[in-house]
This record gives sequence, structure tokens and C-alpha cells, in this order.
Amino acid sequence: MKFSATLFAGAATLCLATTIGSSAAADGHAPSCGLNTGEAATGEPITVGGINGNAPPGDFSGGTDAAAAYFACVNANGGINGRPINYLVENDQWNPELAGQVATKLVKDEGVVALVGNGSVVEMAVNARLYADEGVMAMASGCAISECYESANIVSTNQGPLPSGIGALKYAVEELGTEHAICIGFNIPNNGGWACGWMENYMASKGKVGTSILMDPTAVDLNSVYLQALTEGADTILLMLPAAPAIGLLKVAEEQGGRDLFKWVSPTPLYDPGVADILGDYWADNLYINIELAQFDSAGADNQNWIKVMDAYGQADDRRDTFSQSGYVSAKFFVDALLALDPSTIDRDSVTAAIKGIVGAESDLLCDPYYVGDADRHMPNHSGRMVKFTGTGFEMVRDCYDIDTEYLEPILAQEAALGLR
Amino acid sequence: MLTVYGLFLVSGLAVGSLYALGGVGLVILRRSTGVLNFAYGAIAAASAMVAWQVADWGLAGPVAWISAIVTGVVLSVAYGRLIAPSLAWREPAVKAIATLGYMLILLGLIGLLWEDALRKIELPTDKAAVTIAGVRITVTRLLAFGASIAAVIGMIFYLDRTRTGLHMRALADNRDHAALLGIPVTKVESLAWGISGGLAGFTGLLFGSLVRLEPAVITFMVIPAIAAAICGKLSSLQLTLLGGLAIGVIEAMMTLYKPLAPLRTMTPFIVAGLAILWMQRGQRLTFATET
Repeated sequence: MKFSATLFAGAATLCLATTIGSSAAADGHAPSCGLNTGEAATGEPITVGGINGNAPPGDFSGGTDAAAAYFACVNANGGINGRPINYLVENDQWNPELAGQVATKLVKDEGVVALVGNGSVVEMAVNARLYADEGVMAMASGCAISECYESANIVSTNQGPLPSGIGALKYAVEELGTEHAICIGFNIPNNGGWACGWMENYMASKGKVGTSILMDPTAVDLNSVYLQALTEGADTILLMLPAAPAIGLLKVAEEQGGRDLFKWVSPTPLYDPGVADILGDYWADNLYINIELAQFDSAGADNQNWIKVMDAYGQADDRRDTFSQSGYVSAKFFVDALLALDPSTIDRDSVTAAIKGIVGAESDLLCDPYYVGDADRHMPNHSGRMVKFTGTGFEMVRDCYDIDTEYLEPILAQEAALGLR
Repeated sequence: MLTVYGLFLVSGLAVGSLYALGGVGLVILRRSTGVLNFAYGAIAAASAMVAWQVADWGLAGPVAWISAIVTGVVLSVAYGRLIAPSLAWREPAVKAIATLGYMLILLGLIGLLWEDALRKIELPTDKAAVTIAGVRITVTRLLAFGASIAAVIGMIFYLDRTRTGLHMRALADNRDHAALLGIPVTKVESLAWGISGGLAGFTGLLFGSLVRLEPAVITFMVIPAIAAAICGKLSSLQLTLLGGLAIGVIEAMMTLYKPLAPLRTMTPFIVAGLAILWMQRGQRLTFATET
């Protein structure tokens, strides 16, 4: 959504949704949400927050957009045992100071019971301490930095660059014959260096070579970045970047005839509905992307329900990307956890306990069961799928597979303790 | 190894040409109006986005390219006619800072009009290429390089040989005296804003094709462009061209030395800083004078 979702937008969506929902239900295409009563919830609202980062250089609003749509659908279907969700979304505009302000507003002034659908590059780093101090959980959807995966009160549905990038490399090593990979990432604290550093460890653990090239996010001369990769003598390039600069790099590589000089792999960002129009035929069958959630057109019940929810309750300009799928999953598991509570006792403490109590929640959008637990770090989603760019779209080349990196050792230990492994 | 240096040289020259083009547009305006336009990059970004939009509506390529240049002219002249005159008598620093406000307004408007999405500008020159010493150079890169040199030569000729150019130089020397002599100040200044804006539009179009179509990235292209202009002491077109090309080439060459590679974006500041230190030997600061 272009502007922060407000109560007004929520109310408008609710009115619209009630109308659409009932007509959709009539023709058998109604989404499934919450209690599915078909009756609008009219009790005392439960206030939930969401923070996205939507400003140049990137729009991370897909998660909160999808959560807003799902909550609107839940509110039109009996709410949380009769209580509607009042979802307040703020935009941090990629500004750390603003990220702190909007989180304080939501957590302290509005008294949200939890945050859901968060997607940002700065918010989690700024607010991890606040969430822990205030005992509020953030069920995020669009994370890209280490703090998001190494904090007690933040759990994200998406993987972030580290597992997704290493997952892409695992495929390249096993299927494409990669021996020396270059990881091109942003020189952003706890983002590019973090993900590319672990990628180097991964390559070393396989007896192969990994090299990192970190570039300034504002770097204009992408051609030189590509040429630097060319001089390293590698055989594979891992684009550990947001979609726009990754496409910029592919463009300069195309100019130099670089398609056949390297194997090209990428984490999820390049899995975007708009990529096919931009890249065209040149890259067909030569670009492999690890995806953190199911394919957009997968036939899975949950993925189909995500589409229905977005069609019926989303806004026309909502993004339909991986973050959106991720926001839907976060919102769904959040609602499922709240539905198990006595609605009269819902407050921050009970909601935090309910979220931490989520273990083994299933969705066909994810490869493994989702869980939270009481731990100092969370990364429930660390298995991925691999797709190949076909020139017009994407084709699955490997279904769910584990990503083996030492980074996951504490996570796997958690899963063993929870009986998930 | 020579081939490697050649690769980086060509790459640096291509991006440096864009810096130089930007710098030339800034210097032309500065020489005529005394305004250092920080909104230059934002005007270029808006022009590139309009070109993309026009192409997206299905209109012919040339219409989209012309729309970029027209947008640049309109946005630049709008500021020059509506806002700049009320600051005409203020000191250069105030004039420059006011354009920062315009930059933010334009950047905000771009964000409001266009959702963040993957976009590209395709020029027919993107696919055509020549190979020089093993380096493949697209015609778009050659175009950027040629355009920057042509802009400098053209503007030098224009300022030296035409009546309007003479008026511009007169304004640059002393705005008050030029007005007393009967030079149509508003008309001449508007023309300078228009030429500068047209160059911004053209630069934005090339930038969107050669680098990437991201408004924020194009907006902050003004930083290396200003650095190039500072190399030309905000007045010399030739030195601005050389400064822009030097920044581009040094930035590209820094990628060859790994410890410095992540710090390449400092290049414009370092080059501009060194240029200022060299030029200000025993003199007043650049911004302390009108010209």
C-alpha cells in the first residue's frame, strides 16, 4: 500500500470486504479466514501493529498489505471469537530514527498486543531491544538483516538473504558444478557482509572457494562491480542483492556477453512477477533462484487461499510478492494462535505467550513446520525451493530441500528440543 | 592485464561521461544565474520516469525520449521562473540550499506517482555494440561519451559566438550591470534553466538505460556531478568534463584494489576535495564569490 494503513482504510476495507466476501461466498470462491462465520465481528477491537519500510530504495510493504487483507477477511468472518482486529500500520521510510518513533508509538502509545507482517531493512535493528523490554512479539514477514533472526522477540516467516543465498549456492554446487563463487552484496551493516561471510564459510566447508564483493547501495557504476567479479576468476555469481540492483548487474553482464562466463544464482528477491518483463530471453535457462516460500502459482490450498484473500480483501496496488505470501502466513498463524485464547483475556502478555507457544504450524507455502518457542533467536523457515528463469516465468527445478550451514546449528538444536526433528 | 585495465577504463569513462554531462548542465546554469542546482539529479530522475511512463503507455520510443528532455526543461524552467527570482539577490549558498528543497519535493512527488517496482528504459542503441581491444562497448555508452563532449563543445561555441551566449556571460559577470545595460535578464536566465534542464532530462534518460531506473539513485547522481563541476571551479566547461571523466575512471579503477573497492563511492568527494585544495591555494573559498 502506498500510504500507511489507517483505521479509516481498515474500516473501508472491512465494508468492501463484507460486500465482496458475501458475493464471493455465493459463487464458491470465498477465501477461508479465521472462524469463517460470514458474520462481521463487532466486539471490542484487538489492536495489532505492523511496520513496513516503503521509500526509495525499496518497498517492503507486501507483508503488512497481506496481513491487512487477511485481518480484514478475519474481521468479516467472526474476528477473534467476536473481537475484530484493529490493525495499525506505520512506514519507517528506511529511516532508523523514524523506525524507532513509529515502534514506540505502536508499542507504548497504542498498546498493541503484537506486531505482525513487519518488513523493513532498518526497523528490526532499531527496535529489537524495545520489543524485548516491552514483552511484545513481532511476527515479521520481510527481514533482511541479522538482528531479525538473532532476537528473542522477533520471528520472521521469510528466510532473509543468508539461508536463501546459501540455498541457491548449494544447488549450484550440487547441480551446476560450482567451484568458486562470488557473492555480490550490499555494504550494509548486518546485511551483505553477514550473508556473504556465511556464504564464504559454506563454500569453505565444501572444500570450495567463496569470495565476497560488497558494494555501496548507491554505487552507480555496476559495470565495474561486474568487471571486478570477472577479474576474480570465479565460475559462479551469487547476486545477494535486492531485485533492482541485481537486475542492473545482469544488464551490464548482458552488455559484456557475460551469461555464459558464469553460472548465475540468486536468493529470493529476483523471484518477482515483474522480472520476466525486464530480463527477457537473454537470461532464459541461465538464471537460478532460490525461493523462500511456494511458487506464486502453486496449487497448494494455502497459496490459493492467499490469492483469494488478496483478490477479495487486498487493495489494487498491493504487491503480490514473496513478502505478501509471507505476510499472509504470519497473519494466519497469529490469528490461529489468538483463536485458542479466551477472547476476554486477550492482552499483550497472553498474546506473547500464545505466539511463543506456536509449534508445528503447517502451511503448504512453507517447506517445514513453523514454530516460535522461547529462545534468543528464531528462524523457523530455512528450507527452500529452487526455480529456473525461463524467459517468460519460472520453472521449479528442485522442491523443498534443507540448507546446510553452521549458522543453523542453534536453530536445529531448538527444533530438536521442540520435538520437530 | 592490459585488457583488464582497458575494461575498467572504458567502464569508468562511460559512467564518467554521465557525471560530466551532469556537471556541464550544472556549470551552464551556475555561470548564468549563480545557482548551483542540487535538484539537478531529481529533475533527471523525474525525466527518466516520465520517459518510462510514456513508453509504458505504448507510445513510440522517440516520443518517450523527447518527453524526458521536455520534462527536464519544464521542471527546470518552473523553478527558474517561479522560485529562483525571489532569491536572486541572496548569497550563492542560500540559492544552492533552496534547490535542495526542490530536490526533496521532486523526489517525494516521484515516490507518490510511481510505486516502487522493477522498471527499465530500453534504447535502440543498447543492443548495438562495437568491440575495441577486446572490450565490448554498447552504442549507448558511446552516445553518453560523445554527448558529454558534444555538450561541452556546443556550449563553449554557444557562449562565445551567439548573442544570447554573450548575455549569459554578461549576467555571470554582474547581474545588476547586465540589467542596467538592457539585457533581458528573465529571458536569458529562463533559457539557461531550460538548457540545463534539457541536459538533465537527457542525462536521466541515459542514466536510466545505462545504470538503472531507480529515482533515488539518479537523484543522488547530482553528487558526483557537482564534484565534476567543482573540478571546473563551477565555471570551466572543459575542466568539468575532465573532472567528470576522471571521477568515473578513478572510481572504476578502485575496484581493482580490493581494500578500497567497497569505498569507491567516496571518489567524487575525494576528487572534489583535492580539486578545491589545489584551486584555493591562497584564495578565497569557492562559495564566497558570485562566480
